[in-house]
Amino acid sequence: MSGKLHKDAPLLEVKNLETAFDIDGTYYNAVDNVSFTVKPRQIVGIVGESGCGKSVMSLSIMKLLPKGIGEIRSGEILFDGIHLEKLSDKEINRVRGKDISMIFQEPMTSLNPLFTIGFQLQEVLFNHQKISKQDAKLKSIALLKSVGISRPEKIIDEYPHQLSGGMRQRVMIAIAIACQPKLLIADEPTTALDVTVQAQILELLKEIQQVNDMSIILITHDLGVVAEMCDEVIVMYAGRIAEKTDVDTLFHNPKHPYTKLLMGAIPKMDEDVEELSSIKGIVPSLKNMPTAGCRFAERCPSVMPECMVSTPKLAENEQGHEVACFLYETSRALEGVK
Amino acid sequence: MQISTSPQTSVQVKPMKSMSPWAIARRKFVKNKLAMISLFYLIIVAVVSFLAPYVTTIDITRINIGEMSLKPSSEHWLGTDKSGRDVFTRLLYGGRVSLLVGISCTFFVVVLGTIVGSIAGYFGGKIDNMMMRFTDFILNFPFLVFVIVLGTIFFGKLNGLAVLIIVISALSWGGVARIVRSKILAEKENEYILAAVSIGCSPIKVIGKHLIPNVLSTIIVQSTLLFASMIVAESGLSYLGFGVPSEIPSWGNMLSFAREPDVLQGKPWIWVPPALIITLTILSINFVGEGLKDAFNPRSRR
Repeated sequence: MSGKLHKDAPLLEVKNLETAFDIDGTYYNAVDNVSFTVKPRQIVGIVGESGCGKSVMSLSIMKLLPKGIGEIRSGEILFDGIHLEKLSDKEINRVRGKDISMIFQEPMTSLNPLFTIGFQLQEVLFNHQKISKQDAKLKSIALLKSVGISRPEKIIDEYPHQLSGGMRQRVMIAIAIACQPKLLIADEPTTALDVTVQAQILELLKEIQQVNDMSIILITHDLGVVAEMCDEVIVMYAGRIAEKTDVDTLFHNPKHPYTKLLMGAIPKMDEDVEELSSIKGIVPSLKNMPTAGCRFAERCPSVMPECMVSTPKLAENEQGHEVACFLYETSRALEGVK
Repeated sequence: MQISTSPQTSVQVKPMKSMSPWAIARRKFVKNKLAMISLFYLIIVAVVSFLAPYVTTIDITRINIGEMSLKPSSEHWLGTDKSGRDVFTRLLYGGRVSLLVGISCTFFVVVLGTIVGSIAGYFGGKIDNMMMRFTDFILNFPFLVFVIVLGTIFFGKLNGLAVLIIVISALSWGGVARIVRSKILAEKENEYILAAVSIGCSPIKVIGKHLIPNVLSTIIVQSTLLFASMIVAESGLSYLGFGVPSEIPSWGNMLSFAREPDVLQGKPWIWVPPALIITLTILSINFVGEGLKDAFNPRSRR
């Protein structure tokens, strides 16, 4: 499957990606100059508040942006040596669900209410493989078993409304891994589930990642999930990467003020506090994005005059730890250059 | 795992067979008495009409001067009309034509409207704009005038009945296109559509396999109501003399005898039966449509 890949060659390489939305005739960048790589078998977490461009970025990779509204303006998305951003609709359809697949936030609405679970599982198989009906049925039963659904022979004849949220998300995972993709994009896969089920689903994802040898991009706003699952973490703010490093470093030595505040906002069991800490203000909307300077400047506790004027560069501050903030010399290096 | 319903209890409550949303709707519909009676009536009318040649052997076209305008009797159950033709026989044959026109117009209108509406709704943007402006254009045509004009243009070149069906269909699909488009617009925002695209379904597959089945309930309800209005359109046009050619009996054609004052006042058996059967048929179709609407509505508990 991944034979042509070198051990450490990146599976997915996003370079200077800019995705914009058309609002009243003007384009606003929802993802602004974002670069990162995903290596084979790696779990990369993308965290940030709502409206930070996490989902838009994942949709850009799959080219699922709403037609005529969202658009990849520039940049490259290299997947396994293929320029995804250049593929035609027909060509990308061969990649979707086969090499890259996606799990969505809302398991309650991600399955078509009119069709049985089996039908929807087999659809992805028929889309990408030459497979007989009988084999497809057997395979879908095996898939359901592999995502921990008991009595799969029965479930394939049931309809989505008969399943619980957790089970539906398992079905979604089964559909996503049906063709053994190399990359799985999970867009807040546990947000809509209750806490006990969340843990099960995360466990399942991790297990499947190891069994199937795939990479996962995990989009979440739950730092607990990140700590548990990820190898690498990307902290996004307002469409840009604020900080990028491995998971241990991030939790032990957060550098960007935004990351620090996010960490501070995690409720702690052993502290007796009256009020939970939060970050004041909200992520600016696309239309009100500051045109110059650091986008976090307005909410930043350690804001400096220059933050309002020029944009800090995302640069390696320590080995394998990139940060974009003027508190660190490295971000000044190429001042003025985006 | 999470599912821990013990099989025994659920078996006792109801059969374990999982029901599709269609099966649930069907069950609801069957429980609706008014709709079932109406459906029953419609089926009887349809079956009897289409089996007309086996029900009566009287020739519908033969003019019988000796038996003009006879009152209902044991020989002529509903009497005879001004040309001495048996009203009952004509009613059966007329039903055949009226229902045929209604069904085929509905079919063409629904197919055309669904195709235009779903493509416009799914793709949006320029395609949507172009298709919907064309739809508006079609909807702006004055229906009656155009039926008459087009009917005249095609007159003699094609079978009169075919002309009527084509003309009515070509002018009526706009409403369905608009409804389907608006439904598709709402439906395509659902995450399962994004999920379907994300597993590599082509646009045609997404529309045909995922979107249309989900708006089919609306389309079905619409088409029953459309069926009723198509029968009305046929009757209305035939009554005015622009519809079904006068040599072919239809409910509308039979009704047109009522244009003559002496028939209207003194010979009710000529025009009351077709009027009654049209009214009852339209009413039944509407009840069936209402029943379907209720059956497909997950919130209604009837």
